[in-house]
Amino acid sequence: MEDVIKVRQLSKSYKDLAAVKDLSLSVKHGTVFGLLGANGAGKSSAIECILGTKKYDSGMVSILGMDPQAKRKLLFENVGVQFQEANYQDKITVGELCEVTESLYKKAVDYRNLLGRFGILSKEKNTVSELSGGERQRLFIVLALLPDPEVVFLDELTTGLDTKARHEVWKILSNLKAKGLTILLTSHFMDEVEALCDTICILKKGQTVFYGTVPEAISKSPHDTFEDAYLWYSDEGADDDENI
Amino acid sequence: MMKTFRTMLKTELKLSLKGMDMFIFAICMPLVVLIILGVIYGNKAAAHGAEYSFLEQSFGGIASIAICAGGVMGLPLVVSDYRNKKILKRFRVTPVSPVMILSVQVAIYTTYSLVSLLLVFVVARFMFGLRLQGNIVYFIGGYLFVMLSIFSIGMMVGGIAPNTKIAGIIASILYFPMLIFSGATLPYEVMPQALRKVADVLPLTWGIKLLKAASLGLPVDSVLIPIIVLIAIAIVCIGISLRFFKWE
Repeated sequence: MEDVIKVRQLSKSYKDLAAVKDLSLSVKHGTVFGLLGANGAGKSSAIECILGTKKYDSGMVSILGMDPQAKRKLLFENVGVQFQEANYQDKITVGELCEVTESLYKKAVDYRNLLGRFGILSKEKNTVSELSGGERQRLFIVLALLPDPEVVFLDELTTGLDTKARHEVWKILSNLKAKGLTILLTSHFMDEVEALCDTICILKKGQTVFYGTVPEAISKSPHDTFEDAYLWYSDEGADDDENI
Repeated sequence: MMKTFRTMLKTELKLSLKGMDMFIFAICMPLVVLIILGVIYGNKAAAHGAEYSFLEQSFGGIASIAICAGGVMGLPLVVSDYRNKKILKRFRVTPVSPVMILSVQVAIYTTYSLVSLLLVFVVARFMFGLRLQGNIVYFIGGYLFVMLSIFSIGMMVGGIAPNTKIAGIIASILYFPMLIFSGATLPYEVMPQALRKVADVLPLTWGIKLLKAASLGLPVDSVLIPIIVLIAIAIVCIGISLRFFKWE
């Protein structure tokens, strides 16, 4: 299977602070990759460097065989992105935001269909600011999936969703994965990571402390559950240095 | 391409109208100024023995108020607001280009300006008997040209201002002096000599001189310098705004 996302020796620092150090990863076609770590471990910086919205200091990135900075317009016809924060115009409605986003691509799927699958079709006429946190989160997943992408980046996929909604999102993503969609996600929910991810990478202060599958992560740790294993690797809570 | 432009234009225009501020500053304000000047000066001749009235002389200036409001206030503020809200960041991970984003906004403020021009003309014609003595094709051509030049200033400020606050300050520094001292509201002809020297520094003053010449049918040689100044501004500002466009 081909590598859809390839990252080699990626490093990024802000002044003297290393946000990402020597990150290497590869994500194969039709698989789900989880980038994990505590807040401030460098996940968002890594994603932004991979997407080309931040400049990295050294390393190499390719998505679908393209350099995201050089081939931006071509690449993002086939790549969907959901950022951690929702960004939208004041007073814009759900329908308008979908319509505009759809118009940016040469090919796109019917947004009403996607809104329906994510259970927010009834909100089409509402303004985005009127939505609940969970509805807005689902809307931005819909926007990421609109171009019928080959790859999606989902930063903090289900933050703000209730359990039922999270399970529904997992089901939709699993179906899309079965159809060949490649996914790179970050998440703070280990049950979600266990349910979705084929490969994971755990970051701590910008460094890779584990790379492999969920079962491997458990077996290489002194713990029996993935949640405990993750905490052991990431040492979450043991550090106050969370402002990277 | 056309689909993107049309959809974005439709939505952005709707959002802009919901905001109301351009309706006030670009549509209502020129009409208010027109009516005030019309009531004060009526159909009086611009000068003793002049072939045109005072209001006809001021028409070019009044018509440019909407250009000024949209170009140096509306345009830079909306672009920097979209950067601040990280809307541009989201656009960056889609295939859309900066040229498209800026063109849509330019089209919106062009629409406001043309609507304002039409309203000002109709009201001036029927309330105060304004006659367009010059060539209407020259006037409309000149209007679009002045618009391009003034909008390019706004594109530059919006494209490169580091944050909304600085964009707001620059926009105010450009907008208020141009509104008052370029001859758009306060007629150039009633300004004392010293004030005219200040006015001549402002880009819009040159635009208004051009519009005045076109609307009054004044000789071509008087417009050469304004045209050169405005072309230079447009080239420099559009170049800078595209070259240094900031997504974040």
